[in-house]
Amino acid sequence: MILLGAFAGVLVLSALGVLLSKDNFYSALFMTLTLVMVATVYALFDLQPLFVLIVFVFVGVIGIVTVALAATYRAMPERQFAWIWCIPVLITAVMLGFSIFTHALHGTGTGISISSPIGFTLQGFLKPGSEYQLLFLFLTSLVILLFLSVIKIYRGEES
Amino acid sequence: MPAINLMSISLLYATSFAILLLGFLTALSSKDLIRLLIALELMFGAVFMSLIPLFAVAANPAFAASIIVIFTSAGELLVLIAAIVIQDRRVKNILVRDITAGGDKL
Repeated sequence: MILLGAFAGVLVLSALGVLLSKDNFYSALFMTLTLVMVATVYALFDLQPLFVLIVFVFVGVIGIVTVALAATYRAMPERQFAWIWCIPVLITAVMLGFSIFTHALHGTGTGISISSPIGFTLQGFLKPGSEYQLLFLFLTSLVILLFLSVIKIYRGEES
Repeated sequence: MPAINLMSISLLYATSFAILLLGFLTALSSKDLIRLLIALELMFGAVFMSLIPLFAVAANPAFAASIIVIFTSAGELLVLIAAIVIQDRRVKNILVRDITAGGDKL
């Protein structure tokens, strides 16, 4: 629990670094650190397949490309922020806090087994005949189609 | 390995909310597309965080949902990266104010 709290603290601080840093390059670095820490929280709950997916797919590909882009277009942008946006943010925070408070007050009604470790195995997920294999196939097709569309847009722009 | 209990769920959701909020603020304060891309990635990080408690209830559907979220968000961000490059080629800058299509005026 203390470790989780420490990770949560580092997460919020690195996310704050993204907002406060004026240089996009440092913002991208802070963002990469935040995502790696999110993946580390998954590893903390013994969900290593998700750790690998987030670090390799999300941070390793998209995060590094973002850092490279930020380094290429390095600039100090001006800020624009309307304080009126604080109102919906505050309402959401109050609702979230109230729901957690009432849940703690009136006991458990969500069906979550309290104080139980997460029982997930990759072998159980990918067992033969599982419906998730079909989902994985569809998802792979979707990603390939998406990549082909991006290449087509880019080549159309070139010509 | 910490067990999933009410305290850890609250902590995970609170952290997720804080990251989402910081992502929104970054997106709102961004004037160039790179910063917008960074803000979107931060918001997807918050989504990943909020999925963790779902593993305590239904592990396999949660894993399926996580895979979908990871791949679709990576695809979306890839499209945005391609759009940034195209925007730079067209108007020679990546400022948000030069995007003329889409968006709402408040």
